Amino acid sequence: MTPRQKLNLPDSTLKYLLLAPTIILLLVLTIYPLVFAVAASLETVDVRTGARAFVGLGNFTQIVKDQLFWNALKNTAIYTCAGVIVEFILGLALALILTEKFLARNIFRTIFLTPMMLPPIVAAIIFKIIYIQQYGVANWLLGLVGIKGMLWEAGPKTALFSLILVDVWEWTPFMFLILLAGLQAIPTDPYEAAKVDGATWFQEFRHITFPLLTPAVLIAVLLRLMDTLRIFDQVFVMTGGGPANATETLSLYVYQTGFRFFNVGYATAMSFILLILTTVISNIFISRLRAEEVFTQ
Amino acid sequence: MTWKVLRFILLVLAAVVVIFPVVWVISTSIKTDVDIFAVPPMLVPPHPTGSRYTELWTYGLLSYLANSVIVVICTAVVTIVIGTLAAFSLARFRLPGKWTARVSFWILSTRMFPPIVTVIPLFQLMRFLGLINTRLGLVIAYTAFNIPFVVWMMRGFFVEIPRDLEEVAMVDGCSRMRAFRSISLPLVVPGLAATAIFTIILSWQEFLFALILTQTSASSTLPILVSSQLTQYKILWGQMGAAGTITMIPVLIFAFSVQRYLVRGMSFGAIKG
Repeated sequence: MTPRQKLNLPDSTLKYLLLAPTIILLLVLTIYPLVFAVAASLETVDVRTGARAFVGLGNFTQIVKDQLFWNALKNTAIYTCAGVIVEFILGLALALILTEKFLARNIFRTIFLTPMMLPPIVAAIIFKIIYIQQYGVANWLLGLVGIKGMLWEAGPKTALFSLILVDVWEWTPFMFLILLAGLQAIPTDPYEAAKVDGATWFQEFRHITFPLLTPAVLIAVLLRLMDTLRIFDQVFVMTGGGPANATETLSLYVYQTGFRFFNVGYATAMSFILLILTTVISNIFISRLRAEEVFTQ
Repeated sequence: MTWKVLRFILLVLAAVVVIFPVVWVISTSIKTDVDIFAVPPMLVPPHPTGSRYTELWTYGLLSYLANSVIVVICTAVVTIVIGTLAAFSLARFRLPGKWTARVSFWILSTRMFPPIVTVIPLFQLMRFLGLINTRLGLVIAYTAFNIPFVVWMMRGFFVEIPRDLEEVAMVDGCSRMRAFRSISLPLVVPGLAATAIFTIILSWQEFLFALILTQTSASSTLPILVSSQLTQYKILWGQMGAAGTITMIPVLIFAFSVQRYLVRGMSFGAIKG
């Protein structure tokens, strides 16, 4: 017998041993940085000399007065709400259409999933190319139906909308995918009972489909909210937050403060506000999900 | 009947909207500068050229590609090994009190952190360890953000295997780890492969950490090559399209290969699909 085969640990030891690497890694790489960041958020760093000074909650009181912060928060809120709502409606509509069996259904399903699989950075440059101002295909298409071309992501009024459009294009498929899976998991019996009782299509949807779809809706919306609240890649590539901060989101503002202007304390303090926002929202959803008994064994 | 026809037309239109941009970027990557700005826009370039790709090659494409491949493979191997063990533990054993659920949700919650929150302190940690501009630094960062995903996915797969199977083997004299290796592990191989592919996809397209932790072509990954085609003065449209195409193709191939597990992967194992 080799020593390795002799190793026969009791389950009571084994369960901790197997968990240990994951726990340690997460503690070192996500919790330790967080603790470190708490300290950093209470400091200010002089950009020219590199000297640090303790300012207590100074960064946070400054944030409250910071117009650019409120602007970034507003943009993030608009992006998140508009994006997630539109994606949900379109995704649900597509899922409802594609639950019925018909010719080429699976081909359509596969096609519709493509955008979600693209790296976000690639989706961003694709639309950058489509939005090219005078000669781009988007403006050419608008021209065909007699609408004057617009500046898209380069225009202060249309920039945020143009970014949301990319998000909708890329992530409606995600909503569609999750909601379709949710719909397909609903048993057929309640519908048959409803048919017998003479329920209308809307009554069926309202009283059977929607309640049973709730877990899928919660998951899909939660994951999209988390992604849109942190949105960075597409904004960085398409607009860099411009024009005139019209598309500056929280993540981007934090990045610029920390890595362009090297104001680490201030950047960290702002990132905490994003963290708190995200945690509050995700906890609301997760507790609802636990109540629905999703995410349990 | 009319509804069926209408539905079909609607779906075809939606399919065009979905597919067109993907085709358009590939088409742009093989156009000459003149053709990129041609009016009306052309889907099939009249003078196809591969020069974007050769220009990227001289710009260090191979290095970015190699970095991406190395980082992604190392990340997948490390996260799968570490995460699968933890997942097995959470699926098979009970921690005292409510700790199984608490630990599981704590692991999940680290994934909910916006990356911008961890990236600033992580940057300082990496600088302290001398891991800025190294592939190792990226592997460590990617491992941290992929582990929660692996744990939750694998936990689901292990839960589905009846625990009796292992216990029968243990009655026959196997140790728990032996039973894990020769009974449970082979049964979750398809799920394990799918989870590995998901981690590969997620790391392959990661941008923020790569942007902040690496600044050299010797350490940066493909998404950085894509974004660096947009310079402050000029956008290199063709090269950008080419870099985007190269970054996109492997992901698409991988993603379609795990289509069966897509719902599960995209919902953190919450919906079985």
